[in-house]
Amino acid sequence: MSIHLSAPAEQEHSPHSLIPFLQSQSQSLLTRLYQRPSACLSIFRLLAPLQQQIVMNLLWLESAIASSTMAAWVVRDAKRNYDTALLSLFRLHILPTSPVKLALNPTFKSSMRQSLTGGGATGSFGVPADMDNSYSPMTVEALDGYALERWETILHYMVSSGTGQTSLRPSKDVLFLLEQSGLMGSHNGSFQITSSGFQFLLHSPHAQLWALLLEYLRMAEARSMDLVEVLSFLFMLSTMELGREYSTEGTNSTPAAVQTQKAMLSDLRDYGLLWQRKPSSRRFYPTRLSTTLTSSSPPLPTSSGPSSGVKEGFIVLETNYRVYAYTDNPLQTAVLNLFVSLKYRFPNLVVGAITRESVKKALANGISAEQIISYLIAHAHPQMRKNNPLLPVTVQDQIRLWELERNRLKSHEGFLYTAFASPADYQLVLNYAKQLDVVVWESGAKRCFFATAEGHAHIKGFIERRTGAGGEV
Amino acid sequence: MKASHLSVVIDLSLTHWELSAREPPENTDPLTLNAFLSQLLVFLNAHIACSHENTLAVFGAFPGKSVMLYSSTDPARDLVSNTINANAYPPFNAVDSAVVQRIMAELDLLENHEQEAPSALVGALVKALCYVNRITLPPSSNSKAQANGFHPGVLPDPRILILSVSPDLSTSYIPIMNSIFSAQKLKTTIDVCQIYGPNTVFLQQAAHLTGGSYIFLERRDALLQYLIARLFACTCMSFLPPPSIRKTLSVPTQEQVDFRAACFCHKKIIDIGFVCSVCLSIYCQPLPVCTTCRTKFPMKTLQRLSQVTSGSSGPVTNNGVGHSKNGVR
Repeated sequence: MSIHLSAPAEQEHSPHSLIPFLQSQSQSLLTRLYQRPSACLSIFRLLAPLQQQIVMNLLWLESAIASSTMAAWVVRDAKRNYDTALLSLFRLHILPTSPVKLALNPTFKSSMRQSLTGGGATGSFGVPADMDNSYSPMTVEALDGYALERWETILHYMVSSGTGQTSLRPSKDVLFLLEQSGLMGSHNGSFQITSSGFQFLLHSPHAQLWALLLEYLRMAEARSMDLVEVLSFLFMLSTMELGREYSTEGTNSTPAAVQTQKAMLSDLRDYGLLWQRKPSSRRFYPTRLSTTLTSSSPPLPTSSGPSSGVKEGFIVLETNYRVYAYTDNPLQTAVLNLFVSLKYRFPNLVVGAITRESVKKALANGISAEQIISYLIAHAHPQMRKNNPLLPVTVQDQIRLWELERNRLKSHEGFLYTAFASPADYQLVLNYAKQLDVVVWESGAKRCFFATAEGHAHIKGFIERRTGAGGEV
Repeated sequence: MKASHLSVVIDLSLTHWELSAREPPENTDPLTLNAFLSQLLVFLNAHIACSHENTLAVFGAFPGKSVMLYSSTDPARDLVSNTINANAYPPFNAVDSAVVQRIMAELDLLENHEQEAPSALVGALVKALCYVNRITLPPSSNSKAQANGFHPGVLPDPRILILSVSPDLSTSYIPIMNSIFSAQKLKTTIDVCQIYGPNTVFLQQAAHLTGGSYIFLERRDALLQYLIARLFACTCMSFLPPPSIRKTLSVPTQEQVDFRAACFCHKKIIDIGFVCSVCLSIYCQPLPVCTTCRTKFPMKTLQRLSQVTSGSSGPVTNNGVGHSKNGVR
């Protein structure tokens, strides 16, 4: 039960990952974006609940209201929450900064109103394609299968790159994106997953998707694509209906916009966000990955095994460190393999154990103990949810202890001074080094000591001045 | 973001809507059912807009009949028009058309009857409560809710909003009280907006006892245009925030709550009543035997109480236990 209570509270503190990106954009760009009702609606959904209420309250006022009037609604204890909410809206340029009056950005206001009441002719919610009787329409299941296959190809490629196994390679653009985002990198001549890539694998599908899309947005800037077009296309996808075919032809698009849209169609097809019959097709289906972009706990197809039918959790963890994972999904097995030493495999079950070695291997890959624990909690089997606490405390503590073990060693960069001719020489240099406060370790019996890198120049100079009685190796 | 659930109960008493729509001499500013519905739809959209997971159910209290008009867990697919509009968000379209079509269909059925029965507000309220109960059940015992995307253990923040136009129906005192108690048990907040007519005592109590807010739209002044904006702003401001947000952004609450009750014998709203000391039934006059629990009261007290009522001097309580009486205007 504790996890259910903590999860929403956690989300309230950290805003959606897209919000900081939008806040870093210029006012003119955002205002251009706010011309589309669908973009306004999607951004509105990404806001924190309190911000949403502030926007809603201001949305239907014709004139600006005094800040003090609005502030009078706020409970005194929650003043700080209110101020941070306002600040965030200022930075999104939804509220123009003004100390006395509060009024919504007029562009945002009219578009948001339009999105709620319908009407207008912007066509920002996607133009549905005409019925085409020459093909049978795609079913939702087929779309889910497609999205899942695409998405898992990417993730599976990432997992298996570390182990040396070969798996299906995603397209070049996807690989480039993975490299740009620092999730994978060239290592010893081969393309391998990085430690942030390992961490990425344990995130929820929703967080993974947005992490990649954010990187895509940054790349779009570099590729001199129009960011407004890219963003509004993403937002349009997020408001579309699953299982419906849409036409690529917008109502009012410039040649540049058409070009951007074309590039995006092919990119997003690679990520599994939309489906097209042929690359040249003028129509497309959004998949569940894209229609749930602005929701927070979506039933993403990746969160369930394709054939096992497990809707939520599949992992059972026992107090004896044994892990039973009811899955036949190679990706989930591969992710588990990151921190579990697997013992047996059955058609629908994988059995393994969390051992010191397996956890240390994961830690060495850059995965933290907290990430392992949160992954186990997030994917716990429904039967496990009856336990309180959810995971056996012994196992949780032991995983944390194993992480602490790693911290027993501290590394310092420095030099080892050795082969002193006489104890007197040794003592002299050591004393000098001690005065500088650079000695990390010393051993009188072995006549050597270790000093940090900063002190090296001084000690070296000191020894040279003493006419080279000692040396360094 | 936590999903929240909103059930809206609309009072669709045609008589009172007609009174509400009458032109100026009778009303300072008329509000027709159509104008009201169009604002309501925007309000419903605003609720769905807040989060993808927000759920919605709409119940209509028609004269003598209560109907579920829309629910997001099992939307009536057949009613939703298949046309899709590039300028509107599909879920908004679905809600709007479903609600309007159902209301129109029900109203068409009604026109056969000459005499209008009072609107079944209580029936709709109870249906709303049953619905809340269904969706807050743990999904393990309800596989259907699970299939509709409810996550285990995440209870949607349930709320009920009553939009009422009719005055109190004193016969419904006991069922309303019972609904209030079950709402408290379900941790459901009841908000009330009295759009037309006098203040209602029972709904005021419902809002007060469940921690909701009660708004009586008495200042229906100014132009129609202004009214629409005002009514809507007012509705949004007060009724859209889920209870968790209300800790930060305060919503209007009543300064005075009319706590008067209706007597069990004549179903009248009374200022001073007599309460059975055993079962707490309320009567408007002293009785020798409680009709609910058959307790016999001593003759002496009965005589004393009868004297007091005939003399009508000062507030008299009851056969033993004091009955609260405050907030009388």
